Amino acid sequence: MACPTEVIHRVERLSTRGKSPTAIAFARLRTDRVAVICGSIFLFFVLIAIFAPLLAKLEGQSPTAYHQELVDDYGFPTIGPTSGHWFGVEPRLGRDLFARWVYGSRPSLIVATSVTVITSLLGVVVGLVAGFAGGWTDRILSWVIDFVLSLPYLLFAIAVPAVLLSIFVGPADGASVDQVSRVRFISLILVLSLFGWAGLARLIRGEVLSLREREFIAAARVLGVPTSKVLFKELLPNLVAPIVVSTSMALPSYIVVEAGLTYLGVGLTEPTPSWGVTISAAQSFYRADPLYLWLPVLGITVLVVALSLLGDSVRDAFDPRTRR
Amino acid sequence: MLLYILKRVVSAISVVVVTLVASFALFFLAPTDPAGTICGTRCNADRLAEIRSSLGLDEPPIEQIGGYMKGILVGRDYTTSGVVQHCDAPCLGYSYTLGQPVTKLLAQALPVTVSIVLGGAVVYLFFGVLFGTLSAQRRGGTLDRALIGSSIVINSIPYFVVAVLVALYVTVLPHSEYHPLLSNPLLWASGLVAAWLTLGLTNAAAYTRYSRASMIESLGQDFVRTARSKGISERRVVYRHGLRAALTPVVTIFGIDLAGQLTGAIFTEQIFGLPGIGVLTLRAFNQYDLPVLMGCVLLGSVVLVVMNLVVDIVYTVLDPRVRLG
Repeated sequence: MACPTEVIHRVERLSTRGKSPTAIAFARLRTDRVAVICGSIFLFFVLIAIFAPLLAKLEGQSPTAYHQELVDDYGFPTIGPTSGHWFGVEPRLGRDLFARWVYGSRPSLIVATSVTVITSLLGVVVGLVAGFAGGWTDRILSWVIDFVLSLPYLLFAIAVPAVLLSIFVGPADGASVDQVSRVRFISLILVLSLFGWAGLARLIRGEVLSLREREFIAAARVLGVPTSKVLFKELLPNLVAPIVVSTSMALPSYIVVEAGLTYLGVGLTEPTPSWGVTISAAQSFYRADPLYLWLPVLGITVLVVALSLLGDSVRDAFDPRTRR
Repeated sequence: MLLYILKRVVSAISVVVVTLVASFALFFLAPTDPAGTICGTRCNADRLAEIRSSLGLDEPPIEQIGGYMKGILVGRDYTTSGVVQHCDAPCLGYSYTLGQPVTKLLAQALPVTVSIVLGGAVVYLFFGVLFGTLSAQRRGGTLDRALIGSSIVINSIPYFVVAVLVALYVTVLPHSEYHPLLSNPLLWASGLVAAWLTLGLTNAAAYTRYSRASMIESLGQDFVRTARSKGISERRVVYRHGLRAALTPVVTIFGIDLAGQLTGAIFTEQIFGLPGIGVLTLRAFNQYDLPVLMGCVLLGSVVLVVMNLVVDIVYTVLDPRVRLG
């Protein structure tokens, strides 16, 4: 907790020049040590995901190559971490653990980022329209928002992929492994997006309801500014704070949901290297091969904790009242 | 007041009906072929047609959903190879793979989920409110910082990861399995204790923060100052006067959380091997058992909607300010 005089000085320093609220928030964020550290950790994982092929090549291994010669008759690896296999190999199939770990960061980040982007866009547009249009449009959209929010979304997230799978690839036994894993990937993004937008939409609708009565909106309408311009040039800039805050909170939660569903066997599937898949496979080898389990566990825990703390800092930066 | 409740009930019913129709359309009218899946590899055209008609899949969609709704309200008859089987209301059909009524499977699984969630709730409400109160009393002190700091970190660790690690490494707890409460309460409790502690202690982190915030606010109120000035002991001021006022917001959050946990206990169930609703849904997913899948989703929606309704109504009764909204 910062001492009060320090806070006052900082606020004074920040408010002397005419800065936008967003610029002030980012300036605050830059001075927040937790935010800087957590942001760097997040960046580190993004770099790992982007350069996964390069890192694997550096080690000289591929995430899908089998090394049966490094696994004994009972399926246990005969080697630990070596110069050839930096983190050792997987039990049973003998695939390289380091290569699978760096590639495993990709689906988490790709799924979570796409879902966050889709739900934010959808939530903002629906919230803007519902709040601004009012009347029957608002009533219908609000009902849809409430409806989506009152569905048991974990149960749906399990049920819907089953149906999508049978629509896109036909009978379960006829599909190839690659086809199934591709459909699973898309259906996971679809399902999470379908259920994720409503919370933000409700928030934005509420904000718009109070903003639209303000003078600057009335002025814009009197001047004859077209509605779309009022929405996106006048209202949207005033909604940056709730959008940024909710986005930064959503990202880690979708990483958790992706890994969790994958762990349950209803998200991504082999041969996609993913931390959720690895954790579920590694459970039975937790004594014989702890590294196999702990690599993805640490990966996901560090990434999610860093992102959540960053999200808290972002919220504090945009809304000083919530400061702890 | 009565009008408000009536409005909320109507909207709750509309949500359940739309969920029913939408999920029916999704599961039963999608171009899937459950009959082919049941029929298996040694299948011929006659057998396939018989399965189709016994499942009612040869009827037009409107009649199918009509039959399903009728089953829920008054029960319905199924004809399999000339044998008529009556399925009592509320009838959700028969499991494709187990041959048992879906209602029976749900009735077996529900107590497991409810036991896990309620037991966990006792743990996290107790520790959450206790830590939150201690923290609020020593605001800014070492204990406060330690409690809040660790609760923020614990809260951000993915729950399923914690549960997996507890299930694998914490071997001092009794083996997890489900025994019905009524047949042997001791076995029931010992089989669930690992799940309760995991669910409870991770959620306690969030409740520590809620109760701390709520407690700080209530300790700053005038009535607390009055109580202190009357010379009441500090302990009594905090636990009798402050805590009572601080609990209302915490209980509201709890009500909303509880609904989410009833439909989200799936990780706890799967990881600790307890056969609740979540595990039933997963099994139905893996075996493509549509009636069971549909039953689980419907039950989940009803639970969520009813819980939200109850929270809203109780809240209106408790806090007259909400009524205006």
